[in-house]
Amino acid sequence: MDNTHLLLAVSGTLFTLGLVGVIVRRNLLVMLMFLELMLNGVLLSLAVFTQLLGVEAGAVLMLLVFTVAAAEIAIAVPILLLLVRAGHTLDPGAYGGLKG
Amino acid sequence: MIETVFLMIFSFGALVGAVAMFFLRHPMRVALALIGTMLSLAAIYAELGLHVIAVFQVLIYVGAVMVFMIYAIMLLDVRDRSFTERFSPLLVAGLAGLLLLLGVLVDGLLRTEPVAAAAVNGDAFRVGAFAIVFMDEFWVYFALAAVLLLVAEIAASAVIDVRRRGGDAADPGKENGRG
Amino acid sequence: MTAMNGMLTLLVLLPLAGFILNGVLGRRLGPVFVNGVGVGLPILAFLTALWAWRTLEAGGGVPIIETVFTWAVIGEHVFEVAFYLDRLSAVMALIVTGVGALIHIYSIGYMRGDEGYARYFAYLNLFLFFMLLLVLGRSLLVLFVGWEGVGLASYLLIGFWFQDVTKARAGRKAFITNRVGDAGFLLGMFLIFTTVGTLEMDRINEAFAGGLIPLGVATAVGILLFIGATGKSAQIPLHVWLPDAMAGPTPVSALIHAATMVTAGVYLVARMSGVYLEAPAASTLIAAIGVLTAFLAATIALVQTDIKKVLAYSTISQLGFMFLALGVGAYGVAVFHLFTHAFFKAALFLGAGSVIHALNGEQDIRRMGGLARRIPWTFGTFAVATAAIAGLPPLAGFFSKDAILWFALASGQGGAAWLWALGSLTALLTALYMFRLLWLVFLGRSRMEPETERHVHESPVTMTAVLVVLAFFSVIAGWFALPHYLEPLLPVPALRFDSALLHWAQIGFAVVLALLGLAAAAWLYQDGGRRGDEAWERFQRLHRMLAGKYFVDELYERTLQRPWRWLSDRIFLRLGDRVLIDGSLHGLAGLARWSAAVFARVQSGSLHWYAWMTLFGLVAVLIWVWRHV
Repeated sequence: MDNTHLLLAVSGTLFTLGLVGVIVRRNLLVMLMFLELMLNGVLLSLAVFTQLLGVEAGAVLMLLVFTVAAAEIAIAVPILLLLVRAGHTLDPGAYGGLKG
Repeated sequence: MIETVFLMIFSFGALVGAVAMFFLRHPMRVALALIGTMLSLAAIYAELGLHVIAVFQVLIYVGAVMVFMIYAIMLLDVRDRSFTERFSPLLVAGLAGLLLLLGVLVDGLLRTEPVAAAAVNGDAFRVGAFAIVFMDEFWVYFALAAVLLLVAEIAASAVIDVRRRGGDAADPGKENGRG
Repeated sequence: MTAMNGMLTLLVLLPLAGFILNGVLGRRLGPVFVNGVGVGLPILAFLTALWAWRTLEAGGGVPIIETVFTWAVIGEHVFEVAFYLDRLSAVMALIVTGVGALIHIYSIGYMRGDEGYARYFAYLNLFLFFMLLLVLGRSLLVLFVGWEGVGLASYLLIGFWFQDVTKARAGRKAFITNRVGDAGFLLGMFLIFTTVGTLEMDRINEAFAGGLIPLGVATAVGILLFIGATGKSAQIPLHVWLPDAMAGPTPVSALIHAATMVTAGVYLVARMSGVYLEAPAASTLIAAIGVLTAFLAATIALVQTDIKKVLAYSTISQLGFMFLALGVGAYGVAVFHLFTHAFFKAALFLGAGSVIHALNGEQDIRRMGGLARRIPWTFGTFAVATAAIAGLPPLAGFFSKDAILWFALASGQGGAAWLWALGSLTALLTALYMFRLLWLVFLGRSRMEPETERHVHESPVTMTAVLVVLAFFSVIAGWFALPHYLEPLLPVPALRFDSALLHWAQIGFAVVLALLGLAAAAWLYQDGGRRGDEAWERFQRLHRMLAGKYFVDELYERTLQRPWRWLSDRIFLRLGDRVLIDGSLHGLAGLARWSAAVFARVQSGSLHWYAWMTLFGLVAVLIWVWRHV
């Protein structure tokens, strides 16, 4: 197993852990953090392929993903705050009625 | 060879952080574990020669996103059911999904031919070349991403504004609409 | 080809205008308007037909062709709506509009006070429109439109009093029976088109006259078109609808089911004579069917007790005579008989209508009698028309029927002794049943219900005047030498033996037969038909068979209707409709409902559940990708 395979395996594992974390954890904030973990997993694979193929586009994409992640968190956290203010809980099960 | 060792160490660190996120009860600790993972990843990027990305990883993710997240955690020190019970009802199903997805990914990884070993050095990636390509070919996308960021900030401030005024007259419908 | 000036188009459109005006406005504007439009326009149409006929004669009989518009251009084939006026269609148009106008006038009195007065005239005008389309169409396609249209008008008018279920059913029966014939007609048209490449009748005749068409095709075309004609003209085996069609108002029976529409089949065969000249086998079939129909219908008419049914079977019988003439190649003679028959049969029907009117709806001749003095005008005209149909000289029926019998015997195109013998026997029966009708209705002692008898009254002048006019034509119509007039168009067949002596002998024999029928009817039915009944006592089985109309309806019921009904019910309704179509639709709906219920659960509102489904989908996509890419 060479470095590429190692890093790709780590990337896939991080992504899987992130997704499963969203599934199994109960706390909304923690779920948000698992989303970030998923993004990081993907970013790692992008980095590997950028390096492997010597294409700058991968790096550009990573930069854009950073931007999107920042935007996402900027909008997600206030929404979360509002949600908690309305429902007094961070348990997404309490908001099932929204049928989102 | 030493690079491989470093890569393995940092990969291990990232994985440990990720796994720890599962079991830590308090969101603050989860956040710290995540920061650990992110820093490990930044180190891996640096190891791969993507210094710019590594710097951005530290600055944006750890510096901005996670700090924001920690503020939120401190603001919302809610000790509700989600705090006492770590796992959702789908714990077993989620773990089954974990095995499934991992199995598929590993299977896919094993199917691929061993690729040419990644050049673990800084030769393949130059900041100057990156900058030129970036500003030549991808500036439109970058501008679009900037617009997205701007919109997100406006939206965030709007949401916060709602929250501030919502304190006087509780209006869940309006909040739901925003949510 | 003379100049086109829209004359024929005007002729056709006048009744259509009457239909539209009466149909849309008639109910609101009252009977004066209805009379003005519904009767005035047919009279105008008759005048136009006269004008067209004069124009035709002024042009020396050269056909007038008027193209109204091009219906369709398909490849190299052009289908035009064009009108074609030659001597044959001129005669037909004059009969249709002339008798039609008279019957419209008669209807004013007959239908007075009916709820559907405007509707009645609208339908009648619609019938005239389609009939003119049929008669004047140059292409078989236009003729077919008219052909179907008169069927529609006939259906509407038979079921005019549709509140009565039996009458509505009679209309349906007529319509459906005609469809059987129409199928043959359509197939014939297709065959002609594939063979000749045109549907314009003059060109078809030319093509067939060229002698290049194979005998088999000509025979097939002839038989298929004749099948269409049997439907419209009530010949065996499709004759069953006409007696039931008497459910309609009597003027309708006179116009549609005696004088004009039922002769459309005769017109069709005469018009396509070019085909039949090339198809002797088809002609023989026509002659045989014609004479058989004439004979069998006449025997049925002997025992009918409904005044209109007697006349209906008489119509079938006379149409049989016409087809006999067509079958032996005497096309002009057939049209001649059509011409005379239109007058005396219209007179008879309208006379019957007058009787029914006088008796307040009574139609059973066993409860009539002695009406001669009470309604003298009706009696007089009815007697003249009866004599005409029986073939007494010098009235109209004498000339045309004798010509038919002579050609049945002597024609070089299929004349045969047995056709003549059966035709003569039928002529005898015709005289017998017609005079029986006359005696039972008008002579002898009254057998009416006292209540009915008190109210017997002569019909209004609009009705009797029409009767007088028709009776007048029943006298003189035979004096026109119509076969000679049409000879350039419809050649008279060569004779097998040219013997003036034989011809005179035949004429004398026919007159003797007519007088014999008269005498027999007078003797048998002079006293309310007592002697006639006694005579029938001896032949009870025969009587039952005739009264049952040879049980053709029952035969159809058993052999066609029941299996068809079973098939419709079991196969098409229960299996096809309910199980297959309804079942599959309900199944689809059930599937949709079930799957909706299943997928509705998916949207539970639980974020964890959504994420898990994302994961599952991801796995599925990855597996698929790695399998297939």
